[in-house]
Amino acid sequence: MKKLLSLLLVLGMVISLAACGQEATETAETAETTETTETTAEDMVVGFIFVGPVGDGGWTFAHNEGRLALEKELGVKTLYKESVPEEQVVESEMRNMIDQGATAIFATSFGYMSFVENMSNEFPEVAFFHCSGYTQTDNMANYFGRMYEARYLTGIAAGLKTESNKIGYVAAFPIPEVIRGINAFTLGAKSVNPDVEVEVVWTSTWYDPAKEKEAAITLLDGGVDIIAQHQDTAGPQQAAEERGAFSIGYNTNMYDMAPKSHLTAATWDWSGYYIEQVKAVMDGDFASHAYWGGMNDGIVTIAPLSEHVAEGTKEAIDKAKEAIMDGSLVVFGGEILDQNDEVKVAKGESLDDGSMLGMDWFVKGVVGSINQ
Amino acid sequence: MRMIKRTDMTPSKAILIRTIAISLSILIASLFIVIMGHNPLSVFVSMIVGAFGTAYRIQDTLTIAIPLVVTSIGIMIAFKMKFWNIGAEGQILMGAFMASYVALNYGDLPKIVLLPLMFIAGFVGGGFWALIPAVLKVQFGTNETIITLMLNYIAINWITYLQYGPWKDPGSMGFPRIAEFSDNALLPKLFGVHVGWIIAIIIVIIISFILAKTKNGYKLSVVGESVDTARYAGMNVKRIIITSIVVSGGICGLVGMMEVSGVNRTLTAGVSAGYGYTAIITTWLSGLKATVIIPVSILFAGMIKGGSFIQTAFQIPQSAADLLQALILFFVIGSEFFIQYRLVKSEKKEVA
Amino acid sequence: MNANVYVKMHNISKTFGLVKANDSVNFEVNKGEIHALLGENGAGKSTLMNMLSGIYKPDSGSIFIRGKETIFHSPKESINMGIGMIHQHVKLVDVQTATENIIMGMKGGFFVNSKSISGKINKVSEQFGLLVDPNKKVYDMSIGEKQAVEILKVLYKGADILIMDEPTAVLTPQETKKLFETMRKMANEGCAIIIITHKLNEVMEISDRVTVLRKGKTIGTLITRETSPKEMTDMMVGETTNLSIHRAEVLRGNKVLEVDHIYAKNKQGVDVLKDISFNLYEGEVVGVAGVTGSGQKELCETISGLYPTESGRILFKEENLIGLTPKDIIKRGISMSFIPEDRLGMGLVASMDMVDNFLLKVHHEQKGALVKRKPVAKQCERIIKKLNISTPGINHPIKQLSGGNIQKVLIGREIDTNPHVLITAYAVRGLDVGASHTIYDLINEQKRKGVGILFIGEDLDVLLGLCDRIIVMCEGLITGNVITTEVTKDEIGLMMAGGKMAGIKKEEVLHAND
Repeated sequence: MKKLLSLLLVLGMVISLAACGQEATETAETAETTETTETTAEDMVVGFIFVGPVGDGGWTFAHNEGRLALEKELGVKTLYKESVPEEQVVESEMRNMIDQGATAIFATSFGYMSFVENMSNEFPEVAFFHCSGYTQTDNMANYFGRMYEARYLTGIAAGLKTESNKIGYVAAFPIPEVIRGINAFTLGAKSVNPDVEVEVVWTSTWYDPAKEKEAAITLLDGGVDIIAQHQDTAGPQQAAEERGAFSIGYNTNMYDMAPKSHLTAATWDWSGYYIEQVKAVMDGDFASHAYWGGMNDGIVTIAPLSEHVAEGTKEAIDKAKEAIMDGSLVVFGGEILDQNDEVKVAKGESLDDGSMLGMDWFVKGVVGSINQ
Repeated sequence: MRMIKRTDMTPSKAILIRTIAISLSILIASLFIVIMGHNPLSVFVSMIVGAFGTAYRIQDTLTIAIPLVVTSIGIMIAFKMKFWNIGAEGQILMGAFMASYVALNYGDLPKIVLLPLMFIAGFVGGGFWALIPAVLKVQFGTNETIITLMLNYIAINWITYLQYGPWKDPGSMGFPRIAEFSDNALLPKLFGVHVGWIIAIIIVIIISFILAKTKNGYKLSVVGESVDTARYAGMNVKRIIITSIVVSGGICGLVGMMEVSGVNRTLTAGVSAGYGYTAIITTWLSGLKATVIIPVSILFAGMIKGGSFIQTAFQIPQSAADLLQALILFFVIGSEFFIQYRLVKSEKKEVA
Repeated sequence: MNANVYVKMHNISKTFGLVKANDSVNFEVNKGEIHALLGENGAGKSTLMNMLSGIYKPDSGSIFIRGKETIFHSPKESINMGIGMIHQHVKLVDVQTATENIIMGMKGGFFVNSKSISGKINKVSEQFGLLVDPNKKVYDMSIGEKQAVEILKVLYKGADILIMDEPTAVLTPQETKKLFETMRKMANEGCAIIIITHKLNEVMEISDRVTVLRKGKTIGTLITRETSPKEMTDMMVGETTNLSIHRAEVLRGNKVLEVDHIYAKNKQGVDVLKDISFNLYEGEVVGVAGVTGSGQKELCETISGLYPTESGRILFKEENLIGLTPKDIIKRGISMSFIPEDRLGMGLVASMDMVDNFLLKVHHEQKGALVKRKPVAKQCERIIKKLNISTPGINHPIKQLSGGNIQKVLIGREIDTNPHVLITAYAVRGLDVGASHTIYDLINEQKRKGVGILFIGEDLDVLLGLCDRIIVMCEGLITGNVITTEVTKDEIGLMMAGGKMAGIKKEEVLHAND
């Protein structure tokens, strides 16, 4: 009898669920048709999906700073979810946010791309923003910054500082974004020190302080005296500090986390873009786009130079920065050779955005392989 | 303090203890929430609303409940044999791996052929992964707890290897990801939830029937109660253990298939999402009863879902939300201990 | 209050769930007295003693130790009051010496002054005539010696109120005699001794007074020399009973089982059966005597196909059983009801109901993949009626039945398969007089039907009363094969301890008579 009862219970739940399911689609439809073109700040809910915790002191921290600035500036409500893996669960997290009223969602990691695309098709009334990817739909924009410009500048600081002429680079995944950063950094370093070699180690993780630190130690053991990173935590910085080496940060100014080793950092400032786009959504002006802003927009920059930098660094960087901003210096401007001494960019030419976004080769001077 | 096995537990007393435990957990969780600067009542209400409040949330909760139900059934079979299978996680992954192999290589087959093939492959994958500790146990008397646990790590690393190596999608621009399945390899949805829920109910019914009505089910329960008695009754104990454990693992393997096909659309090392461990708890709380597993799993899924909801709704850090869940769980499981045992203080007079 | 009253338990009640285990029980033990606590299984003896040793707390009533009212919150407090319990099954660490076992768990410094301890142990053992070598390892000891160590352990802790739970169950008659001497000495030294038992002859032999419990109530306290076994039994059972064991006189039939030079080793490679040979005939009850662990269990399992042999044959009606699976052996009608210490370890599944336990035997014969419980349920109802089994129903877990009823379920199931050979081990262990007699009657009934019965037992009086022939085992050897009417208890006792008798000759004589 008991068994029967529990079975009935389950069946009952299933049936009621079915009923609810139909209801939900109906309300969703009505919501779509009654949607007004303008939304007030009180009604506006913006969701943020983060790949690490907001306290990572790196990538997610920088995005969260942008979120906080957005809240302060526009008074909108924001939702966020930390440490969301780059797997299907991100879809259900986005659904949760839509369920809680979000009409704009920023997904801030490359691995979310295909899931955001799916969601954008499922929820055409929601504006999706995917960071660092390349797909785009009618209601899914992608946005990123020309971090390679800042990377180039930090390369100058490293190239001037290194004594062993070997620089270590702790990198997450061999995807174009990371490869581009390594190449720009190497070009920057070689612009002031042609003998420099940049050794790359892959960690296959964005966020894993212990693993990142371990990778940095491996590089330091191999004789590098400066550590740069494309990772979301300050683990590599701390490794450098512990070993008495120097380091180049990423995402945010990491000086406080490694005051004895930190030279400078390539940093993000997402607040401008977030405020602008959410305003557009509120005004009903949102249009899908691919945004790739550079130092001119203020979305990328470098952190103040620390007291450890080599003499003449400030001058060299300021000069290069000015040149990049006025267009007289193109980071991926020829002639550029790849690791096999083949000319990838001829003299007088430069890479277009498409080639940069699909970059799958290393410039000469990088030690390491893309195919792990 | 020392513990004494209870001999005088009545159902009403048991209910009292459970009520006290749940009240205590709510009390302490409330304190914690107040310290974080929120209103406990609204947090708890949100937890429930977040899990069951809208159709979408119920669907989402059920999507979590499906793997819990099926994995719990698999674990229950092993536990009934007193075979402490901690390896459901690995069996899920290996089932997912086998199903994915079929899905990725024969993605062009029609749905009606492909899905059953994946289903069988999932069962085979999980069953094989359980066969190893079962054979080791009956032949050499190895400890299945340790072996199954170790096999979990092997399975995770195997999938990770595939993801970063041979199975990496060339179209992912260097990002370590296995290609998405073709549409034919995806479980259809019914009432907003993938059809795994129907499979789960069918599995519960079939396994309940096997255990209650068939010779094999009967033999399983005898072996589980007393190996000596089973031998004495002329049963082939080794074969019974091995078959049951393979079925146990196979069912867990089905979970892997359902998760890659119904939820994830591809294989990742995170596909099992800890269900293999969570289901151990739901299996215990269900008292190894197949029909009880369903409501317990749904409640548990609700807790997971509600915990996730309050995190975004109240902007509580992930770790704090996890802590709240753990706290509730601690008291609920702890109360089971007090139902079984009582503590006696050695010095002071006991208040009876 | 009289200071000589060491223990006084007044109006003690204790309820477990719905069961009143003790209902206003009164019990008194004096200094220098051996007091027997007698009662059927479930009469409340253990509950009462567990309250005296601090394991349970009474719901109501009071306990006075040496005239002082006491409430125990833990066994430790009871020990501190000088109360010591000697359990039926010794709880010693095998690889340690007597001394190490005795001082284990004692308070004191981290370092142990073994010399002074040895001296103290020697003093105690001499005082009570407990002859134990303090430096002997436990695994080298006989069961009697182990028990002596247990007693020493309790005495060493300063106990002068001793509770002995069925101490003779595992002993040979000779060892029992020695134990009784020790007990008498302890009593003379001023100890109060409580002995829990259901063997009436022992009560008569050793105790000064006896208290009889029935169904949780005190029926009365008697002075032993003023009472008789008959009177005590009537008090225990609550009705007039016939005490003597009946032996059915049946003309022996054909040879049904021939055990021929069987050797077997256990997992550690130690010989457990050495050259075992004997015959079993239709309509015959052969008893197997021996102290626990002499190879009886292995012998049963060997015949049932559960234990691997090294060499030898077991012939069932000319067919060798060695190499057959247990299932095949069951099919040939060889039935075993083996009752280990906890009664439910083999043969029955405690948590299952009667139907599922009966299925154990018949599920092989049912066709198809499903189990059919309906015909089995009918069979169960029939057996319940036939054997007068008291149970709430066939779907009630059998672990909740009383020991005697569980035994009836087990034997009832075995005999219902109409076996040719019935092996019963410890069939009456822990059963009270009434239940035991039901079992004896069942065995005699089978005997009359022409079944060959192997009866493994521990109570020599029972073996001598029920069996036609007794095989005595000691350390895996057969040390005697004797006709019960031609042997005394003492002779069997000697054989149990390893003394070979000319008993084998007697079977040959019997054979010659065939």
